[in-house]
Amino acid sequence: MATNPDRLPISRLINRFGFGPKPGEFKSLLNLGLAGAQAKLLTPPASDAGLSKVVEPDFPDRGKFPTPGTPERVAFEQSQRSDRLNLELWWLDRMVLADHALTERITWFWHGHWATSLGKVEYGRPMKIQNETLRKYSLGNFGDMAQAMVIDPALMYWLDAGSNVKQAPNENLARELMELFTLGVGHYTEDDVKAVARGLTGFNVDRSAATYTFDPKKHDDSSFAILSTTGSWNAQSIVNLLVARDDNRKFITDRLWFRLMSTTTTKPADIESAFNNRQILLTVQKIASYVTSADPGISQVRSPVEWFVAVCRALKITPSTAQNRAQITNYLDKLGQVPFNPPNVGGWPFDEAWLNIASTQYRIGFLTYLLGQADLSPIAGLSGLQMEQALADWLGIPEFSTRTKAVIRSSGLTTAQIVAMAMCSPEYVVNG
Amino acid sequence: MDTISRRKFLQLTGMGAAGAAATQLSLASIVEAAQTRPMPTGTPILVVVTLYGGNDGLNTLVPFKDPIYSASRPGISLTAKDVIPLGADDLALNGTMTGFKTLWDRGELAIIRGVGYPVPDYSHFSSMAYWQTASPHSFVNSGWIGRWLDTQPHDPFKAIGLGSVLPPLLAGVKNTGSVLPLGGLVVPKGIVAKEFKALGKASVDDSPLQAAVSASFGDLFNLSKKIEPVLAKPAPVPDDLPSAIGGNFGSDTSLSQQLDIVAKLVGAGAPTKVWSVSLGGFDTHADEVKAQSALIGTVSTAITKFLSQIHATDRANDVTVIVYSEFGRRVKANGTNGTDHGTAGPVFVMGQGINGGKFYGDEPSLSKLVNGDLAVTTDFRDVYGSMLEDVLATPVGQVIPKWSSKINGLTLKA
Repeated sequence: MATNPDRLPISRLINRFGFGPKPGEFKSLLNLGLAGAQAKLLTPPASDAGLSKVVEPDFPDRGKFPTPGTPERVAFEQSQRSDRLNLELWWLDRMVLADHALTERITWFWHGHWATSLGKVEYGRPMKIQNETLRKYSLGNFGDMAQAMVIDPALMYWLDAGSNVKQAPNENLARELMELFTLGVGHYTEDDVKAVARGLTGFNVDRSAATYTFDPKKHDDSSFAILSTTGSWNAQSIVNLLVARDDNRKFITDRLWFRLMSTTTTKPADIESAFNNRQILLTVQKIASYVTSADPGISQVRSPVEWFVAVCRALKITPSTAQNRAQITNYLDKLGQVPFNPPNVGGWPFDEAWLNIASTQYRIGFLTYLLGQADLSPIAGLSGLQMEQALADWLGIPEFSTRTKAVIRSSGLTTAQIVAMAMCSPEYVVNG
Repeated sequence: MDTISRRKFLQLTGMGAAGAAATQLSLASIVEAAQTRPMPTGTPILVVVTLYGGNDGLNTLVPFKDPIYSASRPGISLTAKDVIPLGADDLALNGTMTGFKTLWDRGELAIIRGVGYPVPDYSHFSSMAYWQTASPHSFVNSGWIGRWLDTQPHDPFKAIGLGSVLPPLLAGVKNTGSVLPLGGLVVPKGIVAKEFKALGKASVDDSPLQAAVSASFGDLFNLSKKIEPVLAKPAPVPDDLPSAIGGNFGSDTSLSQQLDIVAKLVGAGAPTKVWSVSLGGFDTHADEVKAQSALIGTVSTAITKFLSQIHATDRANDVTVIVYSEFGRRVKANGTNGTDHGTAGPVFVMGQGINGGKFYGDEPSLSKLVNGDLAVTTDFRDVYGSMLEDVLATPVGQVIPKWSSKINGLTLKA
């Protein structure tokens, strides 16, 4: 194919600010041209027809765990397991079905940022509510998001702030609030950690209901200093203080650049000013203006969820209604990434961490399972150069390498095998 | 948080870039190296075990008779029935650590008390960086084993970390250790195998990351015939396990999986002098007792099993194991039956070359705390000094600039 210079930047846009193209989408974006594609992909629409197809599971308050060994406990564990699977597949459905995937994509970023795990929270309900909060603010104001998150029941439970009293404050949320969520390591002192922990006392979380209460008697309202500012503190005033710091502007823009564009190339200087008023959408749009960069450090490995969602969007597979649907989370688990289950509060690994012999063979196995239920019509009946070009357009690949061209044009392959090769190829696993 | 992993550490210390330069080895290539140029028996081997998250030293080596200990930790202090006393001492091991007790009784386990560094840092990431770089409070972009590799002729097999990401301790200035990802191998067969294998061919169009994907296909399919028997063979059978712990070895924790592979490769003669393995999850801010006891029990069981496997090979005298964490935890419990980040903790050193069954370094006093934390009595660089000089036969000053001391008498050679 004559190489259209827009193919690479538009491939970056649709993959990093979305979850890869649906059939035909890449080609229509190419027809719009880069500026048109940018405008379309970076402006969330008022409504999304794709999302209207998502079935909303119900996550009722399941109450406390019954006594071990009782029949009630067995039934309870079953409903917990099914809640967890429903929750994971529900979010994957949203990522796959959204026509305009920017909101889901940036919500996914924030899930990795405020990384909270179902492994400890255990109940579907609080995790679903946290996810809705992250989505609500995903492209809004970071200060509003941080205010909502510091009192999010799942986050509070995850970081042991759900029964925090002034007599013995727990420092876990206080430390991570500064180190991982707002300021970055080194931008506060140990005294600040102890002080923020005191300021966050008084909450009591009901985990299964996903609610909290605040008891002023258990809250330390005496006057003390945080980051050299003295006063009587609460969760809201602490977040206001942290988010207003210049360190917050640098830290959040660093994290967005790192995850959306490059783990190795330094963030351009003008991105921070887009975050002056803590506006996330504006900042994301600024970052996206660098998709034309010729820097090789922009190349990025798709994480397992990003890869899987792109595969499903291309193959028209809806995770929650797939055959043997538990296979989906099994394979994602083998690849090391299941939504709602980050390995720790620092979030997911990146780039080389996803590349090894084991992940390569699991991708092959995963595709073997998925391709049996896929819509392969975009290249049906095509062969040779025509097939190769239709495949690259279908999957949003800028251009296949000479190696992969030779592989997919080998004789004797079925359509499903050709698609498997393309989806395992370096050009697809790594966004150029 | 539940787990602090090596990956998170790399990501936040900005040392991920060092990982990019690391060679990723396949099991096949290590087995092949073991067969073509086996390491002579008698060559010392160091196994570094990193516990991520900050292991609670006081519930590991427990001052169970000290009234300040129980008073400081209502709800999470261990009592005589929960611990294994070490002889006549007032210190005892957590009751889950039966394996370590066996090693202690055999004189193969030394416990160094109160280990840390001056002016403690309470961030997981900063403190772990200090330990792994052996450079507290001043950032250097190389790890202590990496700088030891710099003193050696280049060989990608000389130091290997289990897992897919290079731990910073293996990153040197000139030379860098390699990584060995875990995971079983199921090679595709049939008609598509040839095409998948062809994806392993390098292409000039590949970015470095794309080249890494391509290389993984090559590794997957280039398993040499020679490797299969070695990996299919069970690990060396432990022949000397006491019955008390003999029945508990079935659990497949990730640490025991890592050590199982190390045991097989050591037994096969891999030309590797330093191995790095790790376990996460020690950040016990809440409901600590059950979780921490289970984790430290896993460490004890997995390492004891590993050493028994090694004892069944001809390298029984060659292997030394060291276990550390980035910090201990606060003496006082917090309000959620856990402990917040603290300072000093015990370091465990094991092997037949260790002058074990005894303590080194003073136990920090519970009545003389510094800002509510244990005072550091032993600098971790002294422990590294012993590992470098007595195990790896390299002067400590070549690896840790201006450092010259070690723990005297820790090894039988010293």
